[in-house]
Amino acid sequence: MSDHDHTHSHKPAPMVDEVSDFEILEMAVRELAIEKGLFSADDHRRWTEYVHTLGPLPAARLVAKAWLDPEYKKLCVADGVEASKAVGVNWVTSPPTQFGTPSDYCNLRVLEDTPKVKHVVVCTLCSCYPRPILGQSPEWYRTPNYRRRLVRWPRQVLAEFGLQLSPDVEIRVGDSNQKTRYIVMPVRPEGTEGWTEDQLAEIVTRDCLIGVAVPKPGVTSNAKRPVRKAIHPVHHDHDH
Amino acid sequence: MSSSTREEVLRHLRTVAYLQPALHKQTHAPAPDEIDHSLYRAYTRPVHDVGGEADVPIRWEEKEEEQWELNTFATCECLAWRGVWNAEERRRRQNVDVGQTVYLGLPYYGRWLLTAARILVDKQYVTLSELSNKIEEVKKRYEQKSAR
Amino acid sequence: MSKSQHDRTHHAKIATGIGDPQCFKGQAGTPKFKEGDRVRIKDLPDIFYTRTMTYTRGAVGTVAKLVYESPPAEDEAWDNTDKSEWFYSVVFKQKELWPEYADLYANDSLETEFSERWLEKA
Repeated sequence: MSDHDHTHSHKPAPMVDEVSDFEILEMAVRELAIEKGLFSADDHRRWTEYVHTLGPLPAARLVAKAWLDPEYKKLCVADGVEASKAVGVNWVTSPPTQFGTPSDYCNLRVLEDTPKVKHVVVCTLCSCYPRPILGQSPEWYRTPNYRRRLVRWPRQVLAEFGLQLSPDVEIRVGDSNQKTRYIVMPVRPEGTEGWTEDQLAEIVTRDCLIGVAVPKPGVTSNAKRPVRKAIHPVHHDHDH
Repeated sequence: MSSSTREEVLRHLRTVAYLQPALHKQTHAPAPDEIDHSLYRAYTRPVHDVGGEADVPIRWEEKEEEQWELNTFATCECLAWRGVWNAEERRRRQNVDVGQTVYLGLPYYGRWLLTAARILVDKQYVTLSELSNKIEEVKKRYEQKSAR
Repeated sequence: MSKSQHDRTHHAKIATGIGDPQCFKGQAGTPKFKEGDRVRIKDLPDIFYTRTMTYTRGAVGTVAKLVYESPPAEDEAWDNTDKSEWFYSVVFKQKELWPEYADLYANDSLETEFSERWLEKA
């Protein structure tokens, strides 16, 4: 239906000073917004820095803590926003706004997997994602393809991610279509008896927290996938 | 009744699959009687609503972020932080108002960017002339750089 | 020339230190539905915008949770935030949504949220 074989037919990277229409418009919009006093250059820098602090580690620690502490696990399920505080994420006051991030709101729900129920998350309408506790969404999560198919053919899509579950396990797809944001709390795997919180957090990857993977001892990163390179990738040295 | 609604829903999802952007397929503003309810629903639906549409397995990829994409994300959040819009206004404009062709035709962050540009003009913070002049100014800056 | 006036301070005023949707708490009144209620999703007009997916319309599910009060997305998308509704998380059996869903996976389900206007008693 659509040709996705374009990763290898990339044009050679343009010379350093060549800019795309997107880059020109981006600069134009940002400069105008600042000139008109809509936000300041400092605001923009602060937001960029805030985004650089975000990643999946706090969510992984939340799961590890819950595995070790049944009372904390209950809190996670009852009140994800309150439980986030224990891993350093205050959904209201961690972001520079002091009223939450505009796009991610303040209503985290932790979806607890059991041996009988496996959760997996999608936003069919756009790509809503719990950034304050999980970082930026992966590219595949944003695709129309994932958003079309996961709600209707979840077992097929999960199989493509390497996850096949018994028919008596209920797969529950969470479509985060409004203000709630979800993370999945997977079942603690066998072979982790006596592990510390750090050891447990290490095996709870971003893919596990979305629900397309399950944690396994010895597996501390997402499954390897092709990475589409950027022409002018993000600087990570904080002086943009 | 519930079952005829479900039939309509499923017919809608099948119909929408026929309404994809295609460079060589042309319509020239048909007469009203050429548009039945199914087509009307397909054309006027909020285009972000893709759940349940058929699609084929693809290779799942990660992507390195462009600097302009991160800048765009920060611009959009700063615009909401400082009250120019809220995230729902942004989504409505970015994921529905853009229309079916741009929705599937342009990159994800391309829509964020166009939408940020648009809100400045729609809420009269800048005139379209000011935006066009600024685009031209930025372009010239880069042409001069390359010429050196 | 006529120029619109926009109050850019409103949301910060009501939500700073409080959060969103917390800032709308108490504004939706008495919820019409409770956990465990069977509800059907109404096929209301969705001209210009909705966040109630077409694939849910006419389907019957069970209210799993009353999640928060908020202006419905259809109104928030035009910055009309004076009225709030209760939002519900509803669980459907996949077989209820998709005719081809295999009987083998009869337990599979889907959970998503609706503002009250989209629900009727089933």
